[in-house]
Amino acid sequence: MDFSSLFNSSTSQLLQEFYYAPLIIKIAIFFICFSILAILITYTSILVKRYQGYHLEKKLERINPLIDELILKHIIFNDALNKELEDGEQPQLIPLTDFQKSPFKSDFGKQALIDRIINFRKSFKGIMAFYLRQLYIDLELDKKSFNKMKSVKWDKKVVALVELTAMDMSIADVNILPLTNSKNSELRSEARHAYIKLSKNEPFKFFDVVTEPLLMWDQIQLFKIITTTEEISIPNFARWVTYSPNKSIISFCLKLIVHYNQVEGIPAVIKLLDTKDHELRANAINCLGKLKYDEVEPKLLEIYANQPLNCQIEILKAIGRIRSGKSIDFLKYEFLHSSDFDLRKNAARSIIKGGAHAQETIKLLLETATKENLLILKHCMNPLIKF
Amino acid sequence: MPKILYIEDELLMQNIVNKILLREGYTVDVANNGKEAMEKLITNNYDYNLVITDIMMPYSNGFEILSKIRNHITANKIPIIVISSVGNEDAILEAFKLGADDFLKKPIMAGELLIRVKRLLAR
Repeated sequence: MDFSSLFNSSTSQLLQEFYYAPLIIKIAIFFICFSILAILITYTSILVKRYQGYHLEKKLERINPLIDELILKHIIFNDALNKELEDGEQPQLIPLTDFQKSPFKSDFGKQALIDRIINFRKSFKGIMAFYLRQLYIDLELDKKSFNKMKSVKWDKKVVALVELTAMDMSIADVNILPLTNSKNSELRSEARHAYIKLSKNEPFKFFDVVTEPLLMWDQIQLFKIITTTEEISIPNFARWVTYSPNKSIISFCLKLIVHYNQVEGIPAVIKLLDTKDHELRANAINCLGKLKYDEVEPKLLEIYANQPLNCQIEILKAIGRIRSGKSIDFLKYEFLHSSDFDLRKNAARSIIKGGAHAQETIKLLLETATKENLLILKHCMNPLIKF
Repeated sequence: MPKILYIEDELLMQNIVNKILLREGYTVDVANNGKEAMEKLITNNYDYNLVITDIMMPYSNGFEILSKIRNHITANKIPIIVISSVGNEDAILEAFKLGADDFLKKPIMAGELLIRVKRLLAR
């Protein structure tokens, strides 16, 4: 009996055994086979991916030093390019021939060039950064980045945005604004980042189109981008406090008004004190307190009794920040008679912050306070305790 | 030729600045992190004319290097330039407080770096 007939007979025997096996065994065998197959496919794909990664790394190890050498030779150490341009002076032409030769003709080579030029540009400013951008444009690498923007894959779009932002390439509003409202958080965040960095005149125009709420994390990221981007034109954020239908945008703009100390935005913030949304009202009170706008103090005292707890706490904090000394009696009353612990604690803190205006009151309270009130006062007087 | 110790963990930046300095004829010793820098300083008996250091580095950061050099009995006069992407007021003040002679924020201008290096070496 030869090998093939032996194989055939054992296969048919196995199939026959499977056919007559109980259902539960059939199901078990099916799952075992399926799992083995799945494991094999997974391991193979991991191996293939790893090999591709290794191969790519090796290729980059070969090509990156070449790129570095060319950039150093033709740009960084090129004496002809190494002087600042006078007004109206035409920039020098960068010798491109070496960058257009064999390893850089392929897609891989072009991508390596883009990545390396971006890295170099992160290290240099001034005329060198200008010529590195020029090189990117002259080699038409910008087209490659713009093509990625057209991809349906979100990750390619993110890469394109990163590249174009790093090279200061302006992107049409029609292409980037929809992305600032994308459902994908990574893409949304990168598009907003790019918009702020690239739009010189109206970097915050996307606030007009944001319909999704700005999550706290989005706000932190945006705040970092706004406050660390150089040469950005800062608008009057009160514009969105007045007109934006998006609550989170209003909240965020209130924080920016405080950060940039935009006192011209105060009238818009005061109008928010009449809004029905108590969270926005609390944010507005917080903003006014941080701006130390003392003229609003009587209004805050007037509305205090009708406010929910979060707004009352913000009012007490705002009075403490304003430090006019006009509301010491009110604070004292709240500290002694309020039934809520947080209100008492914040009233005490605001009294302490009153400084010279509140010396007498503090002394009197320390002498006459109950055991619990004394603890609150001492807690608030401790400069090491912030909360 | 003046001898410079350049401490930087970012390879590309390290390579570029190293080449810029070498091209000007300086002798450059490169350290990848604070620990390596300290080893080089001790091995060479602090015999450097200038130290250029980054702030954010593994093992020990640029501030630690700064204070170690400034607290050294004989080497406390070595001019030090700090180059860092951390360019906020606190970092700049901290660097000067610890005895930095100059501060450059990344990205840098090659020409500016060379002028500052020459100025400090001429002192």
